[in-house]
Amino acid sequence: MMGFLAAIEQSGFSVWVRESNSLLAYPGVLFLHTLGMGVVAGISALISLRILGCAREVPLADLQKLYPYMWAGFYLNTVTGIMLFAIDATTKIIDPVFYVKLAFIAAALVLMYRINGQVFSDPLLEKRPVQMNGKILAFASIVCWMGAITAGRLLAYVGPGVISSSGN
Amino acid sequence: MSLSLLAHIHLLLNHFPTVGFSVGLGLFLVALYAKSDPLTRVGLGIFLVIALISIPVFMTGKAAQRAIKDLPGVSGVLTETHEDAALLALAFMEVTGAMAWLGLWQFRRTSRATNGNLIAVLVLSLITFGLMARAANIGGEIRHPEIAVQGADPVDAEWIRVASIAGFINETNWAWPTLETLHFMGLSMILGVALIVNLRMLGVAKNISFAALHRLLPWGILGFGLNVFTGFLFFVTIPDQYTTNRALHIKIILMMIAGLNILYFTIFEEPWKLGAGDDAPMRAKVVTTVSVVLWIGVIYFGRMMPFIGNSF
Repeated sequence: MMGFLAAIEQSGFSVWVRESNSLLAYPGVLFLHTLGMGVVAGISALISLRILGCAREVPLADLQKLYPYMWAGFYLNTVTGIMLFAIDATTKIIDPVFYVKLAFIAAALVLMYRINGQVFSDPLLEKRPVQMNGKILAFASIVCWMGAITAGRLLAYVGPGVISSSGN
Repeated sequence: MSLSLLAHIHLLLNHFPTVGFSVGLGLFLVALYAKSDPLTRVGLGIFLVIALISIPVFMTGKAAQRAIKDLPGVSGVLTETHEDAALLALAFMEVTGAMAWLGLWQFRRTSRATNGNLIAVLVLSLITFGLMARAANIGGEIRHPEIAVQGADPVDAEWIRVASIAGFINETNWAWPTLETLHFMGLSMILGVALIVNLRMLGVAKNISFAALHRLLPWGILGFGLNVFTGFLFFVTIPDQYTTNRALHIKIILMMIAGLNILYFTIFEEPWKLGAGDDAPMRAKVVTTVSVVLWIGVIYFGRMMPFIGNSF
């Protein structure tokens, strides 16, 4: 497998992203990844805060309409995330911090689906306060995104082979 | 922008948190005495705008220090004391600005700010005024030796010392990543709120009235406050990485405009009137879209700091 990952790491595309001086290369991919993070974590956190009882004037059911935009951020980060993985594949694959990050993201993903199913599909949604089950999911979702952001940031500082140009 | 240009900008802008703030404070006191709501709102607005302007005031101050530090007759100790005094004053200024924003937010929702908020703004603005006057006075002595008291050394008893903060962050290896992580969380909050409001103006989730979304604004301000806080900690720790960084200059300019833009959402009549199911007027669509574009620009230039500009 290492051979496969090394091949990805040395592919023309990966080399371009990693070593080109163009702002569209590594800096651009990082920027888009930051943007996607802001979109998915930001919208998700605000929906979760509403579920937890903040800003009660906001009708909960309508927040479901924001899901497609949240997913758009998520897809952007999946794509840019794969690019960021590819340029450093042989190192990331053995980096425990990377797996921690993926675990938090997977958990956040599951929670987003379950919130969709349990909170937004509840026929009594606007008629009674959100059930504790939903609130626990919302709280856990916030924790998971915080964890993903933290683990993601720590990738530049902790673990094998830190790319020196990834910011101070 | 070169260091000497930034020094000039510092000398220009530093009139706002000093002279400008005194005018605002005077107006606010008159407003409270006369129990005039419109005047109180203007006072709060002035505090908010000056708190925003104080951000580049401090940053250009650092650049000014770098510009003049080797000139004859410039006291390094004095500039350091001025910076320490300025940082303390800035901290209170930003809290005053945040409370002023909250007051304006309350005014929009309930036609009055709570007494608690007005008292808090009053106390904080008085403290800020005192601290700013002190910082300004020390600053004046840097290049106006004729007003310096003969033989008096700057008192080495500042409450916060930039050198200590920078030293701690530099020596504690988890500090910088923690600050960056908090900075990313703050940006997510800001972008999230800006996006949700913008999407609503563009027609998504039309059943939500703007008045309801108005309740989400404090979370955006919380994110903004977190990022101003962490941002300044970055800045004082490794200032030379930032003072001449072109990406940062653009980022701060965009941030100032976006900060002013917040006033539109907080107090203007036009978005406030948007009820459930209503179509937003074109201007609201434009302003909110511009807001999101500005914040994306802030993220872009922030992320580009190691790559654009030559200081990393």
